[in-house]
Formats: sequence, structure tokens, C-alpha cells
Amino acid sequence: MHPRAGTSLGRAGASLSRRRFLALSAAGAATGAASLSGCAMRVSSGVSGDGETVTVMAKPDDISPELIRQAQKDIGVKIVTVRYDITKLIGMMTNGAPPDLVRGVGATDAPYFAARDVMEDLDPYFARSGVLTSSDLDPVNDLWRYDGRTQGKGPRYGMAKDFSQDSMFWYNTALFDTAGVDYPPETEPVTYEEWLESAERLTRRRNGQTIVFGGSYQGVLTPNLLASLTASAGGSLFSDDFSRIDFTTPEARKALAWYVEYGRSRVGPSIVQPDPNAWDGPTYQAHRMAMSNSGYWLGGLINTDKKLAPLSRLAPAPLFAGGRRVSPCQAGTGFWMPKRARNKDAAWRVFEWFFGEGPAKARASGGWGIPTLKSLRSLMPAQEDYQKRVLKVQNAELKHFSVIAFTPYASADSLYALFNQEAPAAMNGHLSVDTLAGRLNSVMNEQLKRGKEQVG
Amino acid sequence: MTVDQISVTGRPGTDASTARTTPAARPRISMTGRRHRAFYLFTAPWITGFLLLTVVPMAYALWLSFTTYDGISPHWRYVGLGNYSELFSDPQTWKSLGRTGLFAITSVPLSILAGLGLAVLVNRPIKARGLFRTLLYLPAVVPPVGAGLTFKALFDQNSGAANGALTLFGFDALGWLADPYARYVLLMSVLWAAGNVMIISLAGLQDVPRELHEAARIDGASAWRTFRSITVPLLSPVLLFQTVTGVIASVQTIMPLLLTPDGTTAGVTALPQSNYLYMMHVFSQYFALGRYGYASALLWVLFVLILIATGLIFRFTSGVVFYNVDPEAKK
Repeated sequence: MHPRAGTSLGRAGASLSRRRFLALSAAGAATGAASLSGCAMRVSSGVSGDGETVTVMAKPDDISPELIRQAQKDIGVKIVTVRYDITKLIGMMTNGAPPDLVRGVGATDAPYFAARDVMEDLDPYFARSGVLTSSDLDPVNDLWRYDGRTQGKGPRYGMAKDFSQDSMFWYNTALFDTAGVDYPPETEPVTYEEWLESAERLTRRRNGQTIVFGGSYQGVLTPNLLASLTASAGGSLFSDDFSRIDFTTPEARKALAWYVEYGRSRVGPSIVQPDPNAWDGPTYQAHRMAMSNSGYWLGGLINTDKKLAPLSRLAPAPLFAGGRRVSPCQAGTGFWMPKRARNKDAAWRVFEWFFGEGPAKARASGGWGIPTLKSLRSLMPAQEDYQKRVLKVQNAELKHFSVIAFTPYASADSLYALFNQEAPAAMNGHLSVDTLAGRLNSVMNEQLKRGKEQVG
Repeated sequence: MTVDQISVTGRPGTDASTARTTPAARPRISMTGRRHRAFYLFTAPWITGFLLLTVVPMAYALWLSFTTYDGISPHWRYVGLGNYSELFSDPQTWKSLGRTGLFAITSVPLSILAGLGLAVLVNRPIKARGLFRTLLYLPAVVPPVGAGLTFKALFDQNSGAANGALTLFGFDALGWLADPYARYVLLMSVLWAAGNVMIISLAGLQDVPRELHEAARIDGASAWRTFRSITVPLLSPVLLFQTVTGVIASVQTIMPLLLTPDGTTAGVTALPQSNYLYMMHVFSQYFALGRYGYASALLWVLFVLILIATGLIFRFTSGVVFYNVDPEAKK
């Protein structure tokens, strides 16, 4: 599981360092604000939230107590946080008292909630804002657009706080040296088949236990990963109107077969070999994982470890032999505003501040993701040689960025749950890939059909 | 209102003017009335809680069970008994129900036996008895979430202490949290909380009259015979209580949820099949698939099944449970 999918467990290991980082950066932001603001700070939309209270449904890592105090100081808005919980969110929305801002994964939540008409169209706010201008918005923010049919077009319903190209992977050169495996190139992608072969050679086992995982490749959430893998094989997982899914097309089957083989080979964590940490960070940091399918954001952790950082390199997203090079963002986590939010203007002021002012600059310089405003790119860490090296790879990869649209008719969680229900049998060798593809089609299309009826 | 419930203020020596200036006397309520009032006053908080937190949600769930509501989408509709009929054709429902039944008939006797055994041990006059009682009860007060995370860490294939011990002695590591071993980890997690059963059994044991044991000993009965013929019958109401509450708790257990592979809501369906119990199916339908209507139907069916199971337990144990007082004597 990828922590950026939003699992609270997944962030557990990172939270301390990230909070600490945010606390330090708050002080840094205060002292450096003058110089930074000279070049980047712009006039807000004129919407004032001074003295108001805004309820934000988030995870503890999204908005730390230090950041809440900073908001009060910077914009005079009191932020009250409610821990993110989809059940609680539904309850609050049903009661007509939703939070003013809600955390969400742009890649999957945006079409789902927008299609159900519970999100506020933020275009009028963006049009008035001097902080968040359309020309400055990175294309990744298009994940938060939905035109009633397709993701990536139409009104903006939210914004990503930072992003990564989540099909890329980090690798530990020391573990490659130990296993005598050639490093993956930093400019050209390896194929998925080569990646898996390397992972098998890098895996070390003893007495039935895995001492070193050759590689982890789980994406942000399995449905997004499978959609990305299928795109990399040159196809599309969903039908044109997103009402159906098909794992039996040659491209989708190739993607599914690869992922089943990844699980079966036990070279890395998967649903049949779960990582108790629920994310790659601690295992990678302990030099027990040679490759980690995490995008640029993992650098936020790696950069804090002076021994690990020089040994770590970032590699482009793999592709299937004969496929095409795509490097999407599978998350784009950020915030959206419910249509029935009570304090929209003040919420927008928090939105502007969070995505375009002090906190955004702090995040950009921390290395926990690529800033979602182009103007903040210059703040990405590049002091050390290894940081420059990683940044070079990342900048080259941006050319291959694309938005892979997700269905609005089912939540990513529901498709993930259905995948989990069917796939272990195949990963344990009790089911063929073709049978699995058929079963997935059956249960997932049933879920999509129900969703389509509900959306209307 | 009867005459004896209201006392007239016309006491001797009270004239009319005094009667006029005296505040109106409060009607005197009979003892029965007072008892009724006290009963309702004392039970009102519970009744209010029961109505608001049990009856209303159950009624709401019943209404949901006739719809396709998913909590958020605008176009839900009534499906009548559609969710209930789907339930009968859903293989996961029957499989998970079967596993749950198996889990109940395995875990309840095991935990009662373990708890009773521990209670017998710490009921003996041994040194540091208080310390042993505390230590044995301690795991039962660990919050289930903490216990679940501890079990996940202990039984992790690659870094858990259980496999650490196995490999130390030259054995290969086992995939404890996967089939076929996951069911044993779940049972261990149930036994982990056997302190609960122990404490109730201990209270029951201390209620067994000592003279009966002494009489049996004088008659030459062995310890086992004494336990079987005196202790167990006198403890039978306690054992019945533990059986009924144990069955209800085991059918409703969410412990496997705490052992989900990736800790996410959707991870519930990745549980090893042996631990995918009925409540896991309910949870996945509610929170992973957003099928509030269908999940509510599943819960209502479970509610009826629990009622039937409880009734059957009472029915089949009525002849073997010994009461010190005749429960039928005074109603």
C-alpha cells in the first residue's frame, strides 16, 4: 500500500519526520517570508476569512497543530480539524453540516464526488484569486477537473497539495551492488518484465523469511495502478464512457498478468504478503528493500537519512515491451469544498493559503512531492549532489506526465476491495489469470452498474 | 386516582383561613406509585439511550435495507425485499456465515474452558494469588485495537517474534497471517482475552459453598468428581451466561478486521478466507462497497439469527442448568 493513498497507517512512519519538518519550516517560512514573498507571494482574491472558523476534514499529516497556529497568525482563520473518515464525511453531509474543506485523492475522488454533485465548483474562486492563477497551476491539478463525463476537463473542484509520478521507483545502489545486479538507467525506462527479473535477483530469503525485498510495486491504490499499467501496455482499462471495465483486452490482461506474477513471486509486499508497516518507507530505510515503487515524494524521507540518500536513486516509470511511455500521477491528494459548506469564503482563504502561500512553500522545499504551482518549482531541494541527480531525473520524467481518467461510477476503494476479494487465489497459484480477469469483470462491472444507476 | 392515594388537608384544628393561606398540599403518592416513579426515573437514562441509540438506528437500518442507498448518491431507490433475496444468492454470505458458526462453536468452548481453568487455578490458596489474578486478567483490558496491532506484529512472516522463535530452533518461518494458519492466530486472539471469562468464573467459584466440598471430601470423592458433580452444576448459571454472551460476541466479532493486511477499509476483503467472517462481509458491504442497503439487510438477518441461537441455547440447556433458587417460584 502506498501511503499517499491516504491510509493513516501508511503515514504513521512518515508523520513524525514530516511534522517535524513542517514545524521547522514554519519558523523558516517566517524568517524567509520576506525574500520569498518578494518573488512569489501575490495578492489573494480579496476574500477574507479573518476571525472566522473553518472546519477541515484531514489526516493528521495534512494539517499539523503547528500549521493550525500558523494559519491563525497568517490569515486570522481558526482551523478546526476533523479526522478524515469517509463514514463520518457521509454522515456530516447527510446531516447538512459538512466540513468546509475535505481531504481527497484527486485521481479517484474528484470524478466520484463531482458526479454525485456534492462538490463546489471552484472556478469562480480561481478566477478571482491572485495567489492561485490558472497559468501557474501545474497540469496535475487537472485531476481535480470533471466535466460530467471525463476527468481532466471542465470545472475545477479541488487542488492537489503536491504530487509525484507514482509509477517511478527508487532504488538502493548498495543492495544492487551486493546482488551484482546492474543499476536501472536514470534516463530510459526499463520494461516491467526487466523490473520483475531484477527484483527476483535482488530478493534474499532465509528459512522462509524474506531478508531483502527485491522490489515493491503496488502503486497508490491497486485500481489506479492497474489503469496505469494498462495504459503503459497501450490500452485502457475502462470503456470510453467509464461505465465498464475490461480485464480481458490484450493490454489489460498483460497488466493483470504482470501484477499477479509480481504477487506470486513474493519479491515485495502485496495483498498476499502484506508489509506490517503498510508502506515502503521503513523497510526501504532499513536497507531491506532494493526498489520501491514510490515517486519523487519518498525523497522527503530519504533526504533526512544522510547514509541512505547518497545510495538512493530515482528511476523513470517502467513500460511494457512494445507499450508506450506514460508516467501518471496516481494520487494528487489535496482538498475540495463541499457544495453545502457553510463558510465558503473563509474556506477559500484557507485553500489559497494552504496551496499557494507559506505551507505550499514549506512543502515544496521539503522534497515530499512536486509543488502543484509551477512558480514554486525553484524551491525543490537541490543543494546536495544526490538531490540534483534526483531532480534531473524527475524533471526529465515530467515530459511523460499524463492524466489517466478514472471512472466516476465507483469509488477506488470499492474496486480495490473487489480486487482483493478475487486476486489472492490467483496470486497463490490457485486461479489462472484468465479466470481472474473474468471474475474481476463480473464483480466490478456489477459495482459500476449500481454506481451508474445511483448517479443517474 | 384512588382515595387512598390522596390525603385531604382537612386535619383537625385547621381552619378555613389557614387552609387558604397554606400552599396547596401536594397529593401524597402511594408506595407503589413512588416505586413506579423511582423505577422510571432511574431507568429513564437507559431507556432514552436504548431508544435513541438502539431502536432508532435499528429502525433506520431496517428502512435502509429496503433501499439501494449508498450514503451519498442522489438517485437511490426502494427495492422492497430485493436486498434480502440477493442475500440468499450471495455465496459470500453463506460462506462467511458458515465460517462464523464454526468460529463460534470453536472459540466459545475454548475460551470458557481456558477461563474456567485459570479461575480454578487462581482460586486455590497459592502464593501471590492476587498478582497472578491481575496478570492473567491484564490482557483482557488491553484495547482490541492495540491487541490486533500487537498480533500483526508478533505474527508477521518476515519480522514477527513468532517466526523468530521458530527459525531460532531451525524451523522454517510460517505465514501466520495467511491461510491456513490465520484461523489459529484468530483463536489465539480470543484466548488472549480469556481473563474476562476467568474473572466471572472466579466470582462463581467463590459462591460455591465450602461445606459441600468438605462433605464430598469426607465421603471420599476425588477432586475431579467433586469438580464435576458439585462445582460445575453450581457454576452452570454462570457458564450459561458466558455461553450466551460468548456466542453473541463471537458472531459479532470484528477482531479479524484488526488483522487486515494493509490496514485500509478495502483491505478487509484481502483477509484470509478463513477469517472472512460474517461481520467482515457486512463491513465490506457497508464501508468498502458503499452498499448501505444490502449491508443493513445482512445485519437484520444476523439479528434474527442471534435471537434464534439464543433461544435455542436456553431451550437446550434448561434441563442442565442448576439454580440455587427456583426461577419459576416467584415472578
